Amino acid sequence: MLASDMFEFRKKLQSEGIVFVYSGYVTEPVLTGIGEALKQKLVLEATDKKTMRNVFAIFVEEMQNIIRYSAERESVSDANEDVDLRYGVLNIGMENQKFYIKCGNMVMKADVPRLSSRLGDLQRLDQDEIKKLYKEKLRGPTEQTSKGAGVGFVEIARRSSEIIDFDFMDVDDSHSFFCLKAYV
Amino acid sequence: MENIKIEATDRSPEVDFDFANNTFVLRGESYPEDVTAFYGELIGNLESHLEALDGAEVQFTFELIYFNSSTAKVLMGLFDMLDEAAGDGLSVVISWIYDEEDDTMEELGEEFAEDLENATFNMKKMQT
Repeated sequence: MLASDMFEFRKKLQSEGIVFVYSGYVTEPVLTGIGEALKQKLVLEATDKKTMRNVFAIFVEEMQNIIRYSAERESVSDANEDVDLRYGVLNIGMENQKFYIKCGNMVMKADVPRLSSRLGDLQRLDQDEIKKLYKEKLRGPTEQTSKGAGVGFVEIARRSSEIIDFDFMDVDDSHSFFCLKAYV
Repeated sequence: MENIKIEATDRSPEVDFDFANNTFVLRGESYPEDVTAFYGELIGNLESHLEALDGAEVQFTFELIYFNSSTAKVLMGLFDMLDEAAGDGLSVVISWIYDEEDDTMEELGEEFAEDLENATFNMKKMQT
């Protein structure tokens, strides 16, 4: 029963083309470890270097986005430091011969209109406009002050071969669930 | 200034800052946990060094495989700083070495170089 349940779960993921899925607290060491495994997997798949780096780059931006901005968090303190754990889910899969990288995390409801309008703006830009915006963001204020839809989202858009997809869902009075999907 | 040599890690590039010869190299991948912690002091040292120089030739080589968006912000600032030094009378040569199979890196080099007014910029393909 135990094995068959898990096997079914795995089979379901595989049938949906999911190469990799992570759901849990995302920390920088988690990013490092999964990143290394992902690189090796992409090399094994004999993916061309450009595709490989675009998948990897989007993975890094999405993971760091969860680490910095997920509204589902827990603080753990020990003698040396305070660790802020942020919850998120990320998966990488194949759909119509294309890689996709999809992530989800809780956000504060109050941040939804701003995020939604910035990501919506990003969807309407062509590649040249995205590159121009990327450079503007590089010269603009740092991440801390432009919280959300900063240069990270623009990086994801510039490395995507299709228009980025995003969605929000109400969870409770103060939280929404945010999902972003990019194709390489 | 004491030369700085830092070995590459999975997430940070090799750093070779030779202040005696005015040659500076960043080589590898860059997506450190905290870009300010990694680059802050390095760039601070470079800035004070450049300000104290008089008419020297400075070579900065970027040989990067991949960098994240936070690093890109740092690199943009570094290009500005180097260009300013060139404007103040130093001869500054920036080399951007990129993997020939990765046109994103080629484009990023071109975009960073667009606003240079004083520094000399060249791009080279890395043999892989």
